[in-house]
Amino acid sequence: MPDTAQWDGRTYYGRAQLKPAPFNNALVGSYVFLAGLSGAAQVLATALDYAAISDAEPVVRHGRLLSLLAPIIGTVCLICDLHTPKRFYNMLRLVKTTSPMSLGSWALVAFSGASAISAAPLLVRAGWRQDSAVAGWLQGLSRVARIPAALAGGVLATYTASLFSATSAPLWAAGAKGLAVRFAAASVASAASALRLVARSGRRRRDLDSLAVAGLAIELGATLASDHAQQQAGVRQTPSSRDIAGVAVPLVLFLASDFLPRRAQAISQVAAAAALTGSLLMRIGVIKDGEQSAAQPNVSLRLAQPDNLPRR
Amino acid sequence: MKSIAGVVTIVQEGRFQLFDAAGVSHHFILHHGAAADPEQLPSLVNRHVRVSYRDSGAMIGHIATDLRAESN
Amino acid sequence: MDLHPRTPAHSQSDLEALIPDEAELTAGVVVRPGRSYGFFTDTTLCIGCKACEVACKEWNNLPAETPALTGHSYDNTGALSASTWRHVRFVEDDVRADSQSPFQSGWLMMSDVCKHCHNAPCLEACPTGALFRTEFDTVVVQQDICNGCGYCVPACPFGVVDISTLDGKAHKCTLCYDRLKGGLEPACAKSCPTDSIQFGEVSELQQRARERLDHLHHIGRGSAYLYGAPGELGATGGLEHLNAFFLLTAEPEAYNLPRAPTRPANRVVPSLAAGLTTLAGLMVTALALFARRS
Repeated sequence: MPDTAQWDGRTYYGRAQLKPAPFNNALVGSYVFLAGLSGAAQVLATALDYAAISDAEPVVRHGRLLSLLAPIIGTVCLICDLHTPKRFYNMLRLVKTTSPMSLGSWALVAFSGASAISAAPLLVRAGWRQDSAVAGWLQGLSRVARIPAALAGGVLATYTASLFSATSAPLWAAGAKGLAVRFAAASVASAASALRLVARSGRRRRDLDSLAVAGLAIELGATLASDHAQQQAGVRQTPSSRDIAGVAVPLVLFLASDFLPRRAQAISQVAAAAALTGSLLMRIGVIKDGEQSAAQPNVSLRLAQPDNLPRR
Repeated sequence: MKSIAGVVTIVQEGRFQLFDAAGVSHHFILHHGAAADPEQLPSLVNRHVRVSYRDSGAMIGHIATDLRAESN
Repeated sequence: MDLHPRTPAHSQSDLEALIPDEAELTAGVVVRPGRSYGFFTDTTLCIGCKACEVACKEWNNLPAETPALTGHSYDNTGALSASTWRHVRFVEDDVRADSQSPFQSGWLMMSDVCKHCHNAPCLEACPTGALFRTEFDTVVVQQDICNGCGYCVPACPFGVVDISTLDGKAHKCTLCYDRLKGGLEPACAKSCPTDSIQFGEVSELQQRARERLDHLHHIGRGSAYLYGAPGELGATGGLEHLNAFFLLTAEPEAYNLPRAPTRPANRVVPSLAAGLTTLAGLMVTALALFARRS
């Protein structure tokens, strides 16, 4: 039960005023996590590619490969979450700018296509010689696809927060900007952590550790800020210790690895694993808390007081 | 799988009524995994149909999982 | 197979003819595409008979729930759901007090329904276009398109839309879309014995509601107010107005209604902007970090 603050006036026999989202939290949480990881990994890969940073090429390659997680596993999670899965293709009947779920469906399709093309030379590298006509043609295609892949990746890593905030569930609606910053920062931190775990160069591993620290620090700040916003709105009473711990533990581990040079490698690997786990659990937890807050009439009625509306 | 035969009398969206040979009306909701779609139901009105179903639990009605038109 | 004599001889599709513009006889309004229709539910006239609930279930062929007692006054329906599109609420206000005022004594009844919002959050959230605005300015879920994503459910600020796990689709009041197309008054309004539920063109209903409100205030019932008419409670936060609106006498929370609902779609752009800015900032940081050690 989230520690939510309450409307102190009357309710209708304590019956729910809103209906909780009928999502499967593990499936949707996993998708949000993978979308963040893949989207941010693709944006990072393209940014490093264009900046032509020397010996960042392995990170770019791994980033392109990680970007295939959301299209392959995430899409299956989303389709399984539908209550009529055989009609999943209806998501692409139209584009609706007021619906983050519609925008996100299109972003996922664009991202899947562009990421697959941008990663194609890596996937078929074993089969062709580098100088063959097919390999050259694939390389050219891959170069064209990386910009749209990065743009769609940016949307994929961030739209999920607006998907939750653009509802009436109190804990999602209150503090929309804070949730957006949390999700975006968590996406970058999880992409950096995943890339760090598969990186072979020690120097780039340290860069990725630093990027994960930056992401986690921003996520921690945003978690505290959105907790504060929710407390101001009176829908939450105390900061969420679960969400703060999920960010603070990997953050402390990453920082500790700087001070313990002999064990640095092992500690920051644990930190990266903790960051990935924390990011997944944070998404599932945010979804669960939002659904539970919707089922509490004294919380939803609190957020519908004229002096206390969710700020944009 | 239980099944029952009768004539379809009322169709609304994915829900329909079926009168069996004893003149008893049964209420059905078309399951999302059923082969038929709601838009196909109106063509079954006044036709003899065999419905495979399971119980719905909290509703006074059944979940139709399969529909087959029988020859009149 | 022989038909049992009790089997109805006619189903809805083989009636010989409808009475043309029947709604003009029953509700005094002609139903024409392109105009805006809705409900005005005057709770001061509601007697809690639940005829609307029954009429809705009958016409829409919705299954009944297995009967159970909630212990919440006479409200054993509980809530609007995928199979309940009208729900009569019973509010007991000091019914056990020694004295009761003659007007709207301790018993408040209110027939709740989908509000068919002007800027409907469920419609704005629906990614498939299954939820659409009809030619009668009502909001309907198209059952042949809905894929049960469930996003309309948390979008609704009134807790109306529901997903049925049985057929995997979203369901809610259609304002009897099929009846409107045949020129008929919606089933709940037609069956209401006290005209607590009034069907008509929204602008005319708003006018009628204001006159009723003036009358109630004139006879000293100052607690009466409109919920969901333009500029009133319930029509806040970008929802503009509710096509199904209410006349209430207790605070909205007593009826489980939000005092000032907001339009969720207003939060899309600020949220996306904040997320993308964060991502861009962190990417610049990443480039700086990588360039430092190059």
